[in-house]
Amino acid sequence: MRRFLCIVMVLMFVLCGLLSVDAMAQETVKIGFITPLTGFAAADGYSSLESAKLAVDYVNEHGGINGKKLELISYDDGCQPDQASALTRKLIENDKVAVVISGSYSSPSRAAAVICQQAKVPFTSTYAVHPSIVEAGEYCHRIGMAAPIQGRVGGYFAARELGAKRIALLIMNNDFGVSLAEAFKETALKLGAEIVYEKKYPLGETEFRSYLNAIKAADPDLLYAPGYYNEAANIVSQAREVGLRCWLMGDEGYDSPKFIELAKTAANGVFITTDLNRDSDRPMTRYFLEKYKERTNIDADMVGASGFDAVMLVSHILNKVGTKADDIIRYWDTIENFEDCATGPIITFQERSAIRPMDIQIVLNNQFRYFYRYYEPEIIYLNPPSGGK
Amino acid sequence: MLQVLLDAIVLGCSYALMAVGLNMVYGLLRIIHVAHAALYTLGAYVGLYCLLNLSQSLWISLFVGALFSAIVGVLMYRIIYSPALTAPRYVPLIAGAGVFIASQELFRLLAGPYPYSFDAHFQFLSIMTPNLRVTETQMLMITFMVVAFLCLFILINKTNLGLMWRACTQDMELAASSGININLIIAINFMIGSALAGSAGILMALYRNSVFPTMGAMVSYKAFVVIVLGGFGSIPGAAIAGIILAIAESFLGMVPIFNLPREAIAFLVMILVLMFKPKGLFGR
Repeated sequence: MRRFLCIVMVLMFVLCGLLSVDAMAQETVKIGFITPLTGFAAADGYSSLESAKLAVDYVNEHGGINGKKLELISYDDGCQPDQASALTRKLIENDKVAVVISGSYSSPSRAAAVICQQAKVPFTSTYAVHPSIVEAGEYCHRIGMAAPIQGRVGGYFAARELGAKRIALLIMNNDFGVSLAEAFKETALKLGAEIVYEKKYPLGETEFRSYLNAIKAADPDLLYAPGYYNEAANIVSQAREVGLRCWLMGDEGYDSPKFIELAKTAANGVFITTDLNRDSDRPMTRYFLEKYKERTNIDADMVGASGFDAVMLVSHILNKVGTKADDIIRYWDTIENFEDCATGPIITFQERSAIRPMDIQIVLNNQFRYFYRYYEPEIIYLNPPSGGK
Repeated sequence: MLQVLLDAIVLGCSYALMAVGLNMVYGLLRIIHVAHAALYTLGAYVGLYCLLNLSQSLWISLFVGALFSAIVGVLMYRIIYSPALTAPRYVPLIAGAGVFIASQELFRLLAGPYPYSFDAHFQFLSIMTPNLRVTETQMLMITFMVVAFLCLFILINKTNLGLMWRACTQDMELAASSGININLIIAINFMIGSALAGSAGILMALYRNSVFPTMGAMVSYKAFVVIVLGGFGSIPGAAIAGIILAIAESFLGMVPIFNLPREAIAFLVMILVLMFKPKGLFGR
């Protein structure tokens, strides 16, 4: 019996050896992905990762990276900066990835960006908006909309297009909400609006009636409430319930079918700034929306679209210049009019942040619909190019 | 102002329903039952499952959710807390915290990370005037809390079971030597507290139209503040403190220059109570 077991074990070792030789023969190009799959941000992490996988499948079906398969190595950062740091080190040192992508929130993305900059490995965040992510250094880029741009777009739409003079701010107290509100407020004040109420609330807050009653008493023309869809659904439905009669405006954090499902009819009439246009007829947008639904049985959101775009852009660069970090970074900064993405198109990168036309969407009949698009350089660029309007 | 007060009372009902179970457990066993918040989320998920798969009736969903939470609450005691009762106080505290964190991930694994809509239709009283609006859900929450606390009051003060429960809270060993089945009393204690937490979960899911894995986190912090404010072990204290806390949060939240989040107000209240009245408003 013992001899038989020994023979089986030897055979297993030989088989493992053969398999690993076979695996080595199929060389792949690895990209790393950190995203929260546990904790309060797990829903966004799931969207982001599934979309990234969808993009990897697309790339591999269309020839891979110069004939090699693209491989996605993903880890769960739990939306914790310390986890993000450790996992980014693991991706760089153990997994030897060519590029690290963060499908996580601003705080973990900032932590990961610093590690990548130190290791001189190209890094990109997908939907995290905080300005300091790309300030880590020249190896760090951003696919999503930077907060100064998105907040500015919101400010222009509120004060110029809607003509709001009296504006109330209800701000989620984290990197995302505060950086959006700062840019919005600066623009709105510049355009002559007045801030009649301002309040911060913590992530996870569910009861907004007391704030909304105070806002109602301040009688604003518009309420700008940057936050995520869970909080946003409560704000919007409670705002309707307390009888707040003014424009309601949010950001890309609202851009999820779950926002409409939770807020129900109260969501109708809400404006959001986003970069995913569900009414677009661009082939890659249609492809993403249809395939995501097919894959997950859930309608796609902006977070997912950003994850998809990050992998599409990175694989485009890897196809062009290979896996050397310096070549990747040099090429990254020269990209213009990148069309193979679900949002966008990406016009260029400025200060390592993607620049693209910015959309205003409105919820009508319980659906996000296209409402307005900004192309003006002084609005959609971080620093408008000289000669621009 | 009246509207803000009323909205605050409704919010206070949810804090009180959560805190009373915690306080009952503390009153009897002197342990901080952190995993109590897991039963709040469990009630909401079970209620939602009933609503989607078994019956459209909110009442059935409320009953099944509370029942399920009660059973799991008793199991939690038997499996987690019972073996740890003779250990130092921090052991059940850490065990409870572990169960709570694990439960959030279990809900996420079983039901997915996305929030679900809790879209139940039911008929109940409501008040809709230009100056005051009490929705059906708000009225249901207030009624539920009043009825639940009245029943609890009668159970504790007017029945033999309540007498045995009070005896156990005063001296467990003496109660046991007098022939009281303390294991049964503890089990009933967990059952009632857990059923109330499960009901609170369903009512809040209905009120917020949302069920998600981490929904218990915020409420659990608030429940601790409520029991510190109301006094450890005091059941009427939990009810009154829940409402006082919600009113303080709501009115201070309205002041624009008072730019502190709601949680900060709650914990500020807790610090002040611990400094000036460490036994709470109704502590023994």
